[in-house]
Amino acid sequence: MKTANKRPLSPHLQVYKPQLTSVLSIMHRGTGVVLAIGTLLVTYWLAAIAGGAESFANANAILGSWFGKLVLFGWSWALFYHLSNGIRHLVWDSGHGFDLPSVYLSGKIAVGASLALTILLWLVA
Amino acid sequence: MAEFTLPANSVIKSGKTWAAPAGATRVKNFRVYRYDPDSGENPRWDTYQIDLDQCGPMVLDALLKIKNEIDPTLTFRRSCREGICGSCSMNIDGTNTLACIKAIDACEGDVQISPLPHMEVVKDLIPDLTHFYAQYASIKPWMQTQTPAPPDRERLQSPEDRKKLDNHYECILCACCSTSCPSYWWNSDRYLGPAILLQANRWVVDSRDEATGERLDNLEDPFRLYRCHTIMNCTNTCPKGLNPAKSIAELKKKMIERR
Amino acid sequence: MSLLTPFKRASGLGTTSDGVKHWWMQRVTAVALIPLTLWLVFAVAAHSGEDYATVTAWFAQPFTTTMLTLFVFTAFLHAVQGLTVIIEDYIHHEGVKIAALIGMKLVLVLLGTSSILSILRVAFAG
Repeated sequence: MKTANKRPLSPHLQVYKPQLTSVLSIMHRGTGVVLAIGTLLVTYWLAAIAGGAESFANANAILGSWFGKLVLFGWSWALFYHLSNGIRHLVWDSGHGFDLPSVYLSGKIAVGASLALTILLWLVA
Repeated sequence: MAEFTLPANSVIKSGKTWAAPAGATRVKNFRVYRYDPDSGENPRWDTYQIDLDQCGPMVLDALLKIKNEIDPTLTFRRSCREGICGSCSMNIDGTNTLACIKAIDACEGDVQISPLPHMEVVKDLIPDLTHFYAQYASIKPWMQTQTPAPPDRERLQSPEDRKKLDNHYECILCACCSTSCPSYWWNSDRYLGPAILLQANRWVVDSRDEATGERLDNLEDPFRLYRCHTIMNCTNTCPKGLNPAKSIAELKKKMIERR
Repeated sequence: MSLLTPFKRASGLGTTSDGVKHWWMQRVTAVALIPLTLWLVFAVAAHSGEDYATVTAWFAQPFTTTMLTLFVFTAFLHAVQGLTVIIEDYIHHEGVKIAALIGMKLVLVLLGTSSILSILRVAFAG
């Protein structure tokens, strides 16, 4: 019979070695949460435009400040990472790319694509 | 909340060091998780200094050497010492594997050994696998049929259908994959975990089994199956080189297919 | 001390025969968001720095209005689906979990509705 709850729990996060797979996975979740919170930004920006020329100018001033730009830059990278790695997940869901070399290669491609798209976006902007 | 830190009774204290014998030439430190249920004390890390020139090549050889020559109280499971029984699964150097097929040389620096992660510890390196086995039983891991077996021969299977069992039949249920999965750490009460889902798929893809629909019914649940978030720790760690993540993806595809 | 058998514990309350729909819809919204997101960020970036009249005129074009509305709707749906899974993963207290799920949905529905109304207001009021 079990000795009710007296047994210790073996170490998990404390000992398990981070690896590309699990790190990219938790980053996917992290950027997802950031983007969900970032919907506030989308709502704010749309409301500012709907509010008229004055609120639009205010929003532009806030988003155009160095802090606003920093937030937007981080937000855009989070978006592109979640997008790239999300496509990687969709490929997995279709049953492909599960052998370990492909898993690592696609992970590196997702990170590279997120950086490239972020740079491209800020060149356009 | 899921607990990301260890509860008070599970925090690991520092233990004692067993020095290498005089004249040892090639010394390596083995940092081993120890827990004695009779002492009432917290788990601890004991360090054993082993002369590699006097030890076999695998981590299991080092553990046996410790138990036979240094500290007979060290407790761990082992049987076949060739990677087919699945007994000596544990966390070595930060990933789960079988001690018998993990070469000491493959570990850089000190070798840290702890029980399979996020499990209740019975003693030292022995986790309680009761729930894991009960989950295995819950998927009915045997062939279910309506059609009686032919009286004069076995149930036939084409070579192509037999091939679908590859990546499944080799599983030795060592629990390395399930206990490497963070999703299983937080939700093992309801999530079946990679090993059991791979086994479930083994019966779903078996051309002779006639309970495919019931098997999928039994899995169609936000927790039993869909706590898999394709983190891929399972496939990364499987000591038999299997791909539980792929088996789970196949199950998810079948769930869509039958809608 | 619990006298439940391990099998009873592993079986729990059984299956909900659910989950596949949530999983599938999360994938559907994900696929839809690929073109919508790429269009949104690059279109907005291309229009950055323009004056109010130009931006509102751009908003009022039917294509822009349609794409913006679709993006907001799909993105908020996808966010609800994703956050639901995260809350279920980490919050185990049944009451807190239900409160968090409902609270999260209410906030995102509020933000999403507000966003769509903003788009429509600019589109129709010019």
